[in-house]
Amino acid sequence: MRGADYIIKRTAFAIATVFVAITINFFLFRVLPGSAVTDLSRVPHASPQLKIALAKEFGLDKSKWEQYLLYLKNLTHGNMGISFATQQPVWSELAQDLRNTIPMVALGTFLSIVIGMATGILSAWRRGSASDQISTNVAIAFYSFPTQWLAMMMLIIFAGVLPSAGMTNPFIFGTPTFLQHMKDVGVHMILPSLTLALTLYGEYTLIVRSSMLETLGEDYVLTARAKGLPQRTIVRKHALRNAMLPTVTLIALSLGYIVAGAILIEVVFSWPGIGRAVYEAVIQRDYPMLQGAFLILTLSVVFFNFVADLLYFRLDPRITE
Amino acid sequence: MSETLQLQGEKLDETAAVKRGRGGFLWQVIKDRPSAAIGLVIVLFFVVIAVFSHWLEPYDIHTQVGPVYGPPSIHHWLGLDDGGIDMTSLLMEGAKVSLIVGFAATFVAMVIGGGVGMLAGYFGGTTDIVLMRITDYFLVIPDLPLAIVIAAVWGPGLSHLIFVIAILLWTGTARIIRAQVKTVRERVYVKRSRSLGARNSRLVFRHVLPQIGPLLIANTVLTVAIAIFDETALSFLGLGDPTRVSWGTILEHAFDRTAISAGAWWAIVPAGICVSLVIMGCYLLGQAIEDALNPRLKVAHLSIKHFRLVRPLVGRGPDAL
Amino acid sequence: MTTPLLEVRDLHVWFDLSHGGQLHAVQGTSFSVEAGERMGLVGESGCGKTTSILAVMGLLPPNASVGGQVLLNGVDIMAEGEDTIRPHRWTDIAMVFQGAMNALNPVKTVGFQIVEPMELHEVAEGTAARRAAGELLEMVGIPAAAAERYPHEFSGGMRQRAALAMALACQPKVLLADEPTTALDVMVQAQILELLSGLANDLGLAVVLVTHDLPVVAQVCSRAAVMYAGEIVEAGPMDTLFHSPRHPYTRLLFAATPDLYGDEDVVSIAGTPPRLDRQIDQCPFSPRCDRTFDRCKVERPVLKTVDVDHRAACHLNDVPAGAPA
Repeated sequence: MRGADYIIKRTAFAIATVFVAITINFFLFRVLPGSAVTDLSRVPHASPQLKIALAKEFGLDKSKWEQYLLYLKNLTHGNMGISFATQQPVWSELAQDLRNTIPMVALGTFLSIVIGMATGILSAWRRGSASDQISTNVAIAFYSFPTQWLAMMMLIIFAGVLPSAGMTNPFIFGTPTFLQHMKDVGVHMILPSLTLALTLYGEYTLIVRSSMLETLGEDYVLTARAKGLPQRTIVRKHALRNAMLPTVTLIALSLGYIVAGAILIEVVFSWPGIGRAVYEAVIQRDYPMLQGAFLILTLSVVFFNFVADLLYFRLDPRITE
Repeated sequence: MSETLQLQGEKLDETAAVKRGRGGFLWQVIKDRPSAAIGLVIVLFFVVIAVFSHWLEPYDIHTQVGPVYGPPSIHHWLGLDDGGIDMTSLLMEGAKVSLIVGFAATFVAMVIGGGVGMLAGYFGGTTDIVLMRITDYFLVIPDLPLAIVIAAVWGPGLSHLIFVIAILLWTGTARIIRAQVKTVRERVYVKRSRSLGARNSRLVFRHVLPQIGPLLIANTVLTVAIAIFDETALSFLGLGDPTRVSWGTILEHAFDRTAISAGAWWAIVPAGICVSLVIMGCYLLGQAIEDALNPRLKVAHLSIKHFRLVRPLVGRGPDAL
Repeated sequence: MTTPLLEVRDLHVWFDLSHGGQLHAVQGTSFSVEAGERMGLVGESGCGKTTSILAVMGLLPPNASVGGQVLLNGVDIMAEGEDTIRPHRWTDIAMVFQGAMNALNPVKTVGFQIVEPMELHEVAEGTAARRAAGELLEMVGIPAAAAERYPHEFSGGMRQRAALAMALACQPKVLLADEPTTALDVMVQAQILELLSGLANDLGLAVVLVTHDLPVVAQVCSRAAVMYAGEIVEAGPMDTLFHSPRHPYTRLLFAATPDLYGDEDVVSIAGTPPRLDRQIDQCPFSPRCDRTFDRCKVERPVLKTVDVDHRAACHLNDVPAGAPA
């Protein structure tokens, strides 16, 4: 089958990256000096039984190497320890946060890619025109705005118009129906998602524009014109897919920015997601939570990188080995 | 660099410009490209403010000089912060710290990236594979969460902040240097082996730096932008140096101390604009140098505009148009 | 005199340069081809030969200004620029590009790229178009089943054959070929040229072959025009050009050409062509010419008939035979 090697290679890389991330995660927290960091059993206000149980579970009396193996084993069961702050298992806390984050981030990212591609393609097509200049400069501006600042600006501008904090309205009496609840969440989602879309789209515009320009300089575009194809068709059928190849790679490389954006935006808009969990873990020195959240964020980036690799494979028939 | 107008396989030498020295090259870029000049002016403006901040600050940054969140006035152009401290003075002080972090982190990143790139490119083989694999992993692991984890474990402080940001940013430099060392090594090797059969590592390095000068400058400038962006993000999450004033901590204080609900937009807007301007300036300058080095923008075969028709023709020359 | 199939009259092309000024890339070229005739357009790179045929198809970038006439069966198809040319693209005039310059879209199958113009110009549709594409491929020596494959799965020679099949998709009358065999090895080159000649004969195509490579022209074309610095400096039957050139550039060009199996290192003509971003008031070739005399430095020669079906632009032709130059 075409590209079996490629898929195996990318899968191996993804798995290796997961291990590297887990290992970094382990070493950062266990090997660095300072017992508050290294000792997962030092849950404040915990009963002695819990402490003993934790010490046993994570092998805190054993060598670092054995601890590492135990850590891996615990991870396979989703055991990431106990949150210092809530004394609940880290995984159950983070699972809820993740459920809150995903729709907001998905919507924002989707919007940013749509806006970025549309403006980037039009810019390249109308290169040098006034609309190209405006769109490119606006994109550079949004690329330059610090995320948390843009979020605060959105708060200032839309304060009275749209809900600006949290995920739901705490003052709804009684139990809302499912539809009411969805609507409530949806309205709360507008500002954070929009902010995320705005901070990300500028970079996408610039990436798409430059790869589109490069594609429009290729000879097959000239061939397509020589065939008498209308411009629209040339862009859609010949230029777009080729321009998408470098774009997919570059967007995959910028996945980290989505995560960074999500953290800052969730802090500003008090969105109860995984980004806000990271922030609270930092403030409260809740190391197990921080460690767990870092691992989940890294794994999701690795996962989407892998998805991007597969997408690239779908788009480019030249990948055979 | 002589600029060529690439036209369907026919190269038309546009100018007979001779290859200039490296400094001459940069000067040429700034002269030819308005965006580069604008970028440089913006960056230099803030560098001057940062260097002379001590003398330029109109008020002491530790003394209350007016009411809490006092609005902009004749005496305080940009108003006062939550402690009644003059915002203009704070912004100037912030310029100093933010730029120090930006430049210092970039410098450290250059050293790490340069070292890794040189080793990988020079030795090739297994060294290359191992080092580049490590670089690949670093590219995938999301920056900000990693920085948060390291900073949270390590504790706050300016030097910690600089190193944490540097750890995120060295990969790009490593790749550029590696590629260049490889090419130069091959070129020198080919030339040498033809004449003497000698190999000389010193020679490679002597050839590498001058070769990549401009590219390295572009990379540096773009890295500074990201470093400053990261500084504001980390400081905003409470991982900056609490004893110093940077643009990041100004935004953090404004957010934490309810500047938004107090309606004190002047505590938020200017700091963000400063960060955006510096990032924009760096982006414009760095991108212009990169474009000049790598004129990948061929003549587009497709554009919304068409060629012009000229007639009648008799007796017309280029000057007649 | 009958109307030629394709006639280019006094074609001019200027390019706006990014730092101001203009480059006069084509400076009043005229040539014509009849059905079934094969003409070569020869010259060094940058002499305006590719620009000329791109102008014929209206494919120049927006920084170009074009003047002159392109007559197809006596009708000026360039009268309104892009709008009047587009309907003739591929149906009347088709083009083969240099194979190595990836003229085929890497993410589309070869079959798709052949069928595409057929459906666009309503020559054939659906299954019929796919069958026609298969037949075209077999005509150029590629199995019809290869239509399902992607360009990267083809060798350089096969790609060029496919490009030829693609050019013939809408049964054009004129075929413009831009360096169709450059970057192919000698054996493959010979095969492609043979194919091109054969198809042109069978289908009665008018062919304009653009190349810097004289042996290629010699193999395919009966007539040729030599371009230098944006203008045609000599034109005539291939034999005449070879045996009695009337422009020093033509003579030196033949002298600089190795025979088909010759060494790679060729004696090239010393010097470089003049810059085209300024007015040229002398003979553009005079700085490189081995027979320059006073008049060459002050007057630009024009293309004149020097013999039956033979034109040249050189002051030497005004000097009586035997007189000292």
